[in-house]
Amino acid sequence: MEYFMDILRIVNILTLISLVVALIFKVDKAKQLQANVDKLKKSLEEMDEQAKLIVRTDMELNKTQEELDKKITGLYSLQEFSRIMSTTLEKNQIFRKVGAAPFEELGVEKAWAVLWDEKADQFVTYLVSGYKRDETEQIKSQINTEQELYLGLIRKGKTFSSRYAIQQAALVEKIKTLFKVHSFVIAPILAKEEDKGLILMGTENLDMTITEGDEELITILANQISQALDNSRLFEKTWQAQQDLEKKVEERTRELTFALDEVRKINKRKSDFISSVSHELRTPLTSIKGYAAILLAEKLGKVPDAVKERLEKINRHSDELVHMVNDLLDIARIEAGKTIMNAEPQNINEMIANVTDLIIIQCKNKNIKLNTQLPQDLPLALADRTQIERVLMNLIGNAVKFTPENGNITVTAVKKEDFMQVGIKDTGIGIPPESINFIFDEFYRVDNAVNQQVKGTGLGLSLVKNIIHAHRGKIWVESKMGEGSTFIFTLPIAQ
Amino acid sequence: MKIGVGLSIEQDPALAAKEACRMATSNLYNSKISLAIIFNTPSLTSSYFLKTISVALADASVIGCSAAAIISNKGIFKHGLAIIAFSFPENIYFNIASMQNIRSTEAINAGEELGEKLLYGFKGLHRDLGMIFSDSLNEAGSKFIYGLQARLGKSFPLVGASPSPDMRFGRTHLYLNQDILHDSVLGILWGGKIRFGLGIKHGWRPLGRPRVVTKIEDNIIYEIDGDPAVRIYEDYLAKDITELQKEIKRISILYPLGVYLPGEKEYLLRNITAIENDGSLRLQSNISPESSVRLMIGTKESCLEATEEAVYEAKKNFNSSLPESEEKDKKNFVLVFDSLSRYMLLRRDAKRELDIIKNSFGEDTPIIGIYTTAEQAPLKAITYQGQSYMHNQSIAVLTISG
Repeated sequence: MEYFMDILRIVNILTLISLVVALIFKVDKAKQLQANVDKLKKSLEEMDEQAKLIVRTDMELNKTQEELDKKITGLYSLQEFSRIMSTTLEKNQIFRKVGAAPFEELGVEKAWAVLWDEKADQFVTYLVSGYKRDETEQIKSQINTEQELYLGLIRKGKTFSSRYAIQQAALVEKIKTLFKVHSFVIAPILAKEEDKGLILMGTENLDMTITEGDEELITILANQISQALDNSRLFEKTWQAQQDLEKKVEERTRELTFALDEVRKINKRKSDFISSVSHELRTPLTSIKGYAAILLAEKLGKVPDAVKERLEKINRHSDELVHMVNDLLDIARIEAGKTIMNAEPQNINEMIANVTDLIIIQCKNKNIKLNTQLPQDLPLALADRTQIERVLMNLIGNAVKFTPENGNITVTAVKKEDFMQVGIKDTGIGIPPESINFIFDEFYRVDNAVNQQVKGTGLGLSLVKNIIHAHRGKIWVESKMGEGSTFIFTLPIAQ
Repeated sequence: MKIGVGLSIEQDPALAAKEACRMATSNLYNSKISLAIIFNTPSLTSSYFLKTISVALADASVIGCSAAAIISNKGIFKHGLAIIAFSFPENIYFNIASMQNIRSTEAINAGEELGEKLLYGFKGLHRDLGMIFSDSLNEAGSKFIYGLQARLGKSFPLVGASPSPDMRFGRTHLYLNQDILHDSVLGILWGGKIRFGLGIKHGWRPLGRPRVVTKIEDNIIYEIDGDPAVRIYEDYLAKDITELQKEIKRISILYPLGVYLPGEKEYLLRNITAIENDGSLRLQSNISPESSVRLMIGTKESCLEATEEAVYEAKKNFNSSLPESEEKDKKNFVLVFDSLSRYMLLRRDAKRELDIIKNSFGEDTPIIGIYTTAEQAPLKAITYQGQSYMHNQSIAVLTISG
């Protein structure tokens, strides 16, 4: 029994010892765990401190980025403003086209612009954005009630904003209340001449604060508007001047048209007069010429030589007179459109050959060399054969008349685009420059030695001009004194 | 199901309504229009604009809301009206309902009541999708959702938007047929052979150690880890309460609070709308007591990556909703609820976000959306069983076909 008790005691002691050992181990483990927990706690605290640093750095970065974003947006908005304003030169349109969008981009929802009307002694509103109709009417009237305050802002010529709430509290509050904003920037529009005013942008957003950057932006914007208004006024002036000029041109054109109508009427009266007088003249002339012919034929008895000589003169002068009357009649008819050109496809070379055949004798008498330069493959011209041969006769005849002995006359014909060009060049005395413009006028005769010796009616070139014009052609002359002249005319080509 | 989409940026409300209706109905030929969802900017809201729509759409049911901006294939519009007209076959059905005066009603009860109204007429019919539009001023949005889920089912797919009011008028208008409502929630319940896919993402990542909300009342957190709630922002941003109060809207967009939800993959984001003088944080919507919260951090790029993920998920879910026999990626319509906070962060890059959606669904897929202050959708949106929550700063992409 005692032995059994001893064993039990020993077991108890051993158990106690093992429990003590286990407890010691557990305490150690607990200590170790606590140390780990402390370590983790410390790490967490450290991480939390790092997180704080991250948040603070991130906040600074965000602030910088926001400022940068704002500046970029501002620059974009300014660029947009510039683009919009460059597309118009009309005062109302400048503000209308600006609209609300660029302000919204800048983060404000309200904008207002006024210009001072010197004559009406009041502010006129040009831009309203972000206000209801009743608010708009109320603000419009209030601005004019307190116009001295706003004129003062213009006179100061400086941008003003809600940033000056401490220095100028009363003014800031007044503007805030009137324009129903929490923050604002207002800048003067200072155009060079009469257009002076103010532009305001503002927001009800309590979180938005106006920065120096905002002030700079709206100052630039106000300057741009001022410039646009100056351009608008300049444009208006230029436009007005152009309008005046156009008006004057219109008046002058009307006067000239009236004068032209008068000239046409007079010309018609002249043609009618010439036509009727010529008809009236032809009848007695025919009788005179007839009686002269009878007398010359001595059908009524012998006529003395001296009388015969006088009768021949009567006959010759009558011929000249008939010729002149006929020319006048032709001119009058062509001018009145009474002569119909029987335009048909014609070979111009043939017509030139016909005429030169007739004139060649005169050339020989004066030892003038008559040349022709006529390509064989010329197309047909659309012409009234009789009339154009008359033109050629007249022009080549004139060339012979004004070319001294041993001279040269060259007749050319060439195809140019869709018309035919005929030239008659001589080595004559030439036409004085001051006469060139009148040479195709009726009864105009160049004052030169030949004309003083040779009689002429001064109707030939006028008739030529009228015939060519009736063919829808052109005629002109190039001449150099002492070297000769070239008469050139054109005719349409037969299709 | 046939869908016609119309968009107008006319200044005059009646002209805008006429133009958008004409565009929306032109694709539907002579089909009877059963339902129209309308979104517009507040400048166009007027009673005769709704009357014009009602007449033009031959008395179809009309539901919709105003928002600060409209999203469409053609761009982002700060002035405009978009109409989506639906012509349903017999095997697709819907019900619309409204719950008014929600501020004076206990949010959970209001949610339950709307659920009841929506379920009315759906007895014995299978329901597939719920959609809600709620007044953005409603801060008890989460509780409202819980109430709605109590009737429709906790894992019932619910998508919705609390549209953002614009800064000028500060008010959201809700439309039900020819009525303009405020302080209300509107709902549509869809059932039948409707196919849809939903994706929702935000792109913010947790930062720093998790903390526990130790004192909260509805949407106001008084204490986190036993300290005044504002301490979390004071610590991380090294700013005092006065500075934080001034800048909170901007700070909240960049660093919202992320709420950890057991079993969910994503953190639920909460915007801080104000910091009270006692150091409490007023949230956009309520969260559960003892929630684990973390400060979240996001960038433009992470935001855009999230958009890509949301689009991918919407497409994947849409395709998996189709029976084997139906062709995948079939022609559909895309509805987007995008947080205004994202727009304020992305600014000029908001167009990039729209391009991601357009490029993924194809240029000719109609896309209509609005900017919101809160979005409702299942958090994971991986399966239909995901529970719907009220989100902030997220983009919800819903693609529908039928």
